[in-house]
Amino acid sequence: MAEAQTSLGILWRALPTLWRVAVAGIVAYRAEMVIWILSATLPLVMLALWDAAAAGGPLEGFGQVDFARYFAVTMVVRQLTGAWIIWELNYAVRSGSLSPQLLKPVNPLVYNLFETIAAIPWRLFVLVPVCAGFLAWRPEILFVPQMWRVALFMVSVVLAFAVAWLVQALFGALAFWFEQAMGIYSVHFALWSFFSGYIVPMALLPSWVAALARWLPFYASLGVPVDVLLGRAGPWEVGAQIGWVLLLTFGLQAAWTRGVRRYGAVGA
Amino acid sequence: MTRSAPDPRPEPRLREVLLALARVALMNALQYREGFLVEFLVGSGNVVAILLPLAVVFGKSSTVAGWTWDQSLLVTGFFLLTSAVMGGLVEPNLGAVVEGIRQGQMDYLLVKPVDAQLASSLMRIAPAKIWDALSAVVVIAWGLHGTGMPGPLALLACGTMLVAGLMAMYSLWLLVICLSFWFVRVDNLRYLLGAVTDAGRWPVDVYRGVARIFLTVAVPVALATSWPAMALLDRLDGALIAQAVAVGGGSMLFSRWAWKRALRSYSSASS
Repeated sequence: MAEAQTSLGILWRALPTLWRVAVAGIVAYRAEMVIWILSATLPLVMLALWDAAAAGGPLEGFGQVDFARYFAVTMVVRQLTGAWIIWELNYAVRSGSLSPQLLKPVNPLVYNLFETIAAIPWRLFVLVPVCAGFLAWRPEILFVPQMWRVALFMVSVVLAFAVAWLVQALFGALAFWFEQAMGIYSVHFALWSFFSGYIVPMALLPSWVAALARWLPFYASLGVPVDVLLGRAGPWEVGAQIGWVLLLTFGLQAAWTRGVRRYGAVGA
Repeated sequence: MTRSAPDPRPEPRLREVLLALARVALMNALQYREGFLVEFLVGSGNVVAILLPLAVVFGKSSTVAGWTWDQSLLVTGFFLLTSAVMGGLVEPNLGAVVEGIRQGQMDYLLVKPVDAQLASSLMRIAPAKIWDALSAVVVIAWGLHGTGMPGPLALLACGTMLVAGLMAMYSLWLLVICLSFWFVRVDNLRYLLGAVTDAGRWPVDVYRGVARIFLTVAVPVALATSWPAMALLDRLDGALIAQAVAVGGGSMLFSRWAWKRALRSYSSASS
């Protein structure tokens, strides 16, 4: 127990420095970040399809305006919850560059978490012109949500970020055991894109699929905040998000401890 | 680095070069067999992720932008085929060019007595993309099952459009790679290009206004996905076919010119 407290103390004192390093890292690679951010065009591609489908009239209560609004919010939430730890962790484990990182008093996972959070203001900055363009194209999507929905949305975005990051970190930790962790993640991505609301709004899935998908981590990592803001989800779904954050945190802790032990045992 | 005095040895014949390159590519690729099964899962997941939303959309309305489900399947099939060709034959090669420029291996390629563009375009393959190609065939066959078999002329037009579209896409990739001779850190542009190419999975009529023009002219993915499908459905006239051939051939010539230009300004990583 004493050891845990000291490492928390170290973490506490290192926080400001960690933050500065993380921000500097993002600033150094800002052009690359812009390209990464702009590469997340799938919501727009999906919007085109739904928009054409709804041209003849609303589908299940979704008209063209609803689709435009839905995918605009989805695009923003996707950016706010973006993580890339699986690529870093996968590379670090396979190349052995994890070893020096493990010698540092601060857990490499924590450092990545900081870096990911530090990127968020920059993501917002790049999103402003994109959103402005979107609004100029479809001004009718502007709407004023209720205050409590905005507040719950903010909580839900933070939780969605946590779920997305934890899931990626868990898949990254698979690299301790499997060569093909990235491939497994790609398979997961296909499932995720369907069940998270990224390409199909939850309300348009067959009802029995939606009833199940509503409580899965895919939805918790993206769709919940979108639907909270647009009035299609509420406190229950946010509660499920909290549950997933707790569960995934325990899972990651267990996987990380075992993984690092195994990594050491290989002799790297 | 430029090529030095004329080489006394005779230039190898094109056929020999092509055969040798294909053999090297295959041997390189066969070193990595384990990923094959995982790639199969990834490929299948990808196909499902593309088809599911389409199925949901067509579950709600019988035509979308004038396309039925079967007809859209043809576009999706050609999209998978384009992804297979681009991801299996084009991307691995041109990605390696960027790496070679940054680290200097490009020098070794340039001193070889073969055409540098040919060699850097055919040196590597990603055999796992064969899953994408196979699923493309299945999806196209599925679509044709619904729309009926096209006549021989339509098939010929379809083949022409497909080749023209792939030529245009290859040229676009080559142009992006040419940029990296001047700006080394443009390899991320590849991912952006890949993301934009994703828009080719739906019939081009789904897009309106500027977006449709963009996908036909700027990133001509519609040429390789929607137009071949339209050819199979007898929706193309001679003028459009001529246009596609002009775009495909013209972009090949232009990218070839840009490549030569870029090579001239290449100054090796070490100098």
